[in-house]
Amino acid sequence: MREYFPFFKRRPDITYLDSAATGQTLFSVAEDMQDFMLSNKSNAHRSGNSMGTYVDHQYQSSKELIGKWLNLNNPEQRIVYNSGTTQGLNDATQMIMSAMSSGVVFVGIDSHHSLILPWTQSGNAKWRVVFIELDKDGRLDLNDLETKIKLEPIAVSKVIAVNAVSNVLGLVNDLDSIKKIALEVAAVSIIDASQIISKRQLNLSGFDFVVWSWHKVYGPMGLGCLLIDPIWLNFDPVRPGGGSVTSVSIDSVSWQTNAAKFESGTQNLAAISALPKLVKWLMEHQADIESHDKSLAKIINDQIPLSQFTPISKTDSGLLCLEPAVGSVEDYTMMLDAKNIMIRSGKLCAEPLIQQISNGGLLRLSWGCYTTRQEIELALDSLGDIYARLSKHV
Amino acid sequence: MLDFQNMFNDLFELEDPMDKYEWIIDYGSGTVGLEQKYHNDDTLVKGCTSPLWLAREDSGRIAAWGKSSIINGMASMICDWYNQANTHQQLEFSLNTLTDIGLAPLLSMGRQNGVANLIAKIKTL
Repeated sequence: MREYFPFFKRRPDITYLDSAATGQTLFSVAEDMQDFMLSNKSNAHRSGNSMGTYVDHQYQSSKELIGKWLNLNNPEQRIVYNSGTTQGLNDATQMIMSAMSSGVVFVGIDSHHSLILPWTQSGNAKWRVVFIELDKDGRLDLNDLETKIKLEPIAVSKVIAVNAVSNVLGLVNDLDSIKKIALEVAAVSIIDASQIISKRQLNLSGFDFVVWSWHKVYGPMGLGCLLIDPIWLNFDPVRPGGGSVTSVSIDSVSWQTNAAKFESGTQNLAAISALPKLVKWLMEHQADIESHDKSLAKIINDQIPLSQFTPISKTDSGLLCLEPAVGSVEDYTMMLDAKNIMIRSGKLCAEPLIQQISNGGLLRLSWGCYTTRQEIELALDSLGDIYARLSKHV
Repeated sequence: MLDFQNMFNDLFELEDPMDKYEWIIDYGSGTVGLEQKYHNDDTLVKGCTSPLWLAREDSGRIAAWGKSSIINGMASMICDWYNQANTHQQLEFSLNTLTDIGLAPLLSMGRQNGVANLIAKIKTL
């Protein structure tokens, strides 16, 4: 699939293993965004002119295609465009807080900060955060979740907020069981699907909120989706403004009755214009993407030089984190960079988890559908070479 | 009083960036770093990804110690040069000095910010 990504022709010198941070761009995304900006830039919604109508068509078509891709009914009722995962999680949190005055949120300890901070930093002391610990394999311990959630009185509002896949562990959490627990205790559910949505076909029905960023799905930066259960259409938008209404008078307002209610302001239409072809491409290649991801996960699980690097866990998908036996992760990252191998290291915006499992930081290798086996092996060989160099100075 | 490049001439004769990194690490390993008793919040250099401490020891020597071997080596080089430089050289020294001689580009932008903070802090000691 590498041929679909112009980056690799333009930068053949680079070994890109930072796809968990952002994926490289599908060729049609770059073309469509350029086409929009240079030939079709117009604003959507009630323009009354043919250029605006074209943009409306792209906007509606993108939601319909996402609906087909994710097997969703009434996508116009369910898909909210926003700037990305962080905004989606903040909006979901604010919507819940506007609907329920207090409660407890059960957050996976493997979460990215963006899933934690909207709750801890909201200024709303009536919501308490309880962390869900990991099981022995590194997945969310659902027995721990069940035990903790059942300790809370029935009348207390509950939210379960978890990653589908942690950006540190690369392990697929059991979403079906999480959904079941949420239903049993009438908890609101939030799923951060950022690390999985480009790699696996998921059943996302039955969750209140699902979020992801398109830049991790080979798409544009600055565009995300918040998938909502239609029941949330009964609540007012947390960011009211143009586009979220059907009519406004001095003393009243009529909100949109579909998900556009939560999209006030002008959307990132250049980015949205690139979605129809991107989503078609994802649907066409879904099976290959998934099997490639699993195949790379197996290769890296099998080939880690365990005497030199300790994997934080085995990986299911997309990424692997390592702790070196010798040297600082910064040294590895800088020396890999000198070999044009791009990885990420540090606390990976998941400090509550990192504090539990690491001495200060990790090396993360992450891949996409374009990553080759040879690139993974080159990175592992290079890590071994750096380990040898650093070992001489211990 | 040597300028920075002359003081570390061997490093600048190396071509391969990996060899340069190894030289810098080796330099740091061969230098007596900042004594542990000086490692505290006041001596921590802000903006570094991994911890780096910098202080003037009771003996008058300026020294540093960092957890990253590369940053430790580079900080040791900067301290050793600074300890023997004259006032004029010290005042003129900046991250640009390291950029001009090709040393700063060995670091990512984030780490360059850390080294810039190291240089700013060293001038206050």
